[in-house]
Amino acid sequence: MKNIFTLCLLVLTLGFTSCSDDDDSLPAINTPESYTFERDSQSTVSFSGQTTRILMGEELSSSLKDFTETTDHLLELYRNETAGGGDANPFDDADLNASDKSVKSKVAASNDFFSSNTATSSVIKADFEEWIESQVSEVFPNENTAASPGQPGQIADGSSTRWVNADGLEYDQMVTKGLIGALMTDQTLNNYLSPSVLDEADNIAENNSEITADGKNYTTMEHKWDEAYGYVYGLNADAANPNNDLGADEFINKYIGRVEGDQDFAGIANEIFQAFKLGRSAIVAKNYTVRDIQAEILREKLSEIIAIRAVFYMQQGKMALPDDRNSFTLYGPALHDLSEGYGFIYSLQFTRKPGTNEPYFTNTEVNTLLDQLLGDGENGLWDVEDTTLDDISNIIAGKFNFTVDQAGS
Amino acid sequence: MRHFLLIIFIGIISWSCTDSDDPVDASDGFDRQAMLINWADNIIIPAYDAYNLSLAELSNSTNSFTENPSLETLTSLRSNWEVAYTSWQTVSMFEIGKAEELTLRDFTNVYPTNTGNIDNAISSGSYNLTLPSTRSQQGFPAINYLIHGLGTDQEIVDLYTSSESHKTYLNDLVNRLATLTGEVLADWQGDYRQTFVDRDGSDASSSVNKLINDFMFYYEKALRAGKVGIPAGIFSNTSLPDRIESLHQPELSKSLLQVALTSAENFFNGVHFDDNDQGMSLSEYLDFVNAISEGETLSRLINQQFESAQSAINGLDGNLMLQVETDNTSMLKAYDELQKNVVLMKVDMFQALNIKVDFVDADGD
Repeated sequence: MKNIFTLCLLVLTLGFTSCSDDDDSLPAINTPESYTFERDSQSTVSFSGQTTRILMGEELSSSLKDFTETTDHLLELYRNETAGGGDANPFDDADLNASDKSVKSKVAASNDFFSSNTATSSVIKADFEEWIESQVSEVFPNENTAASPGQPGQIADGSSTRWVNADGLEYDQMVTKGLIGALMTDQTLNNYLSPSVLDEADNIAENNSEITADGKNYTTMEHKWDEAYGYVYGLNADAANPNNDLGADEFINKYIGRVEGDQDFAGIANEIFQAFKLGRSAIVAKNYTVRDIQAEILREKLSEIIAIRAVFYMQQGKMALPDDRNSFTLYGPALHDLSEGYGFIYSLQFTRKPGTNEPYFTNTEVNTLLDQLLGDGENGLWDVEDTTLDDISNIIAGKFNFTVDQAGS
Repeated sequence: MRHFLLIIFIGIISWSCTDSDDPVDASDGFDRQAMLINWADNIIIPAYDAYNLSLAELSNSTNSFTENPSLETLTSLRSNWEVAYTSWQTVSMFEIGKAEELTLRDFTNVYPTNTGNIDNAISSGSYNLTLPSTRSQQGFPAINYLIHGLGTDQEIVDLYTSSESHKTYLNDLVNRLATLTGEVLADWQGDYRQTFVDRDGSDASSSVNKLINDFMFYYEKALRAGKVGIPAGIFSNTSLPDRIESLHQPELSKSLLQVALTSAENFFNGVHFDDNDQGMSLSEYLDFVNAISEGETLSRLINQQFESAQSAINGLDGNLMLQVETDNTSMLKAYDELQKNVVLMKVDMFQALNIKVDFVDADGD
């Protein structure tokens, strides 16, 4: 089914390209080798706000495993403001403190999905706060307790030590992997790549006339597209050639690299990069049809990254479950995989089915999957059965154009 | 035409053979149980027994030292620590059964040891050595720090004369090793030996498949990477001489590596722990299934490669830290020889024996 969709896009692209020859109102699309765009020899690419939010997310993520942390400070890292709503300076990085941006303000905050669904948005924003608070209230007091079913504490995962809650879940993984969807993917796919944002107000007219934003070298539409790009590649050393160091941040960038490393999906990193580059080139050429086709490709591919990793961790978790289900000290690798998987499943509600205004899995469907994951017994992941992990894997893969086997290893 | 008929005839025979075969027995006909018995009775249990005895000696000399700190008791403690650390190298690869459940290796030999955490634990007196987060402050590397790394010999003696908390921590570390090992040995001497031998099938949970995977994981991660590759800088931008095993007594590092490699080679060949007799082994198993690679039997190739690795390591300085600092190229060459056997065993041997690798490189987060 997805193949047919891709084919349609291809036909559309070809159809358009052949037409553009005799359509003299539009200039040809010049696609550069790298993500480099200039006006008057000055770069027009800017996404510092995205880089800032990724860095804020990284500091929040690493602080969740610092047992000297307090709930107040962790929540400040999430909100970049005090509990009373005042200015806070919670970050180690002074540049982040100087910013008035925050992680929370862009969680579940896309124009397409949440501008008129603030009820769900606020529930999602609160999920992250609950996980952060529970890390401090449930896990921190048990820093030096061995974890077991119903008992939060630490557990060995190879040479690493992990800290889990009573259900065997790592809150820090839920936050970090959850942000991949709620922040990066939602903002990219459902906000900045969307015509509702790209074409807002006078963006088209201004882009057609190359009227740049106040005091800037870029048109507003160019900038919106770059902001999408920045959520995916905001920390790469060479922003124009980001595939050289995938994994520069621990959010979606890292997992594009991981999926690319699976030979079943080799090439996907380049497909994503090429679509970003062609879409941006199309904006320069004022060709909004080609732009939107690239946005749909990105919606499909970036959604796939999340779904593939969700299935991957379900399958890895299944294989890592100990043969003797009463050997609780051996659960570490499985609990870690499944905690990562929990975050990726959570992130599925921020994916975007191409050609629709829908995610691949709605908030309700995601909650059903997560309930299923934790529902085999009293103690969540400690009781999860192989068949449940296979069922969830099949349900996810069933909505995408890959198999459980392809994603699972 | 005659050949053609012969082929059909052979085809029919093999078809009928398959038919009459016991459908549950999908194995290759090799007596896996006999090999398991050799492993358990002539290698694993005697090796654990010897290791356990060496820990009893270590306990005795630790008690003598902490009760009466002197240069003599320190020397005796160090010597027993060396013997026990060396003996550990003969059992580390057998992380199965109770050892797997207890994650024995990670509680015994994580290095570099975390000296900051050790100092904190001693000064606070608050620690729980059963927790995974304390793995880097216990075991042989931590004891090494406590008996070699706290100053000159006289300073160490003086420290233990005055500090009860140092005595307590040192005794706790030695007792912890003895307790863990006692549990593992008791399990082998109790029911587990029979369980191990009875799981003689060829599925993923059979003893042969599991132990070969454990052996391979050990060879690749703990021996090849841990003892040689990481200090040589294979996995980093620069060499890391302070990541050697036995950091606070670096003169011991090469001999620990040699014993580890010899033990791995002996296991491959089924060599008995207490004498040099040979019993059923992976080497024999490979010959049984007639494993050939590039015109040579695979067992011979693997043994030749063990020898190449041994001779590359023999040429190294006894102090591997010094070796890395002065001539890392030779360390890298030793690594290369060890790596060649990863390919021969993990790829060719696993394939020949129809065994699936059950571990992957960690995700890294």
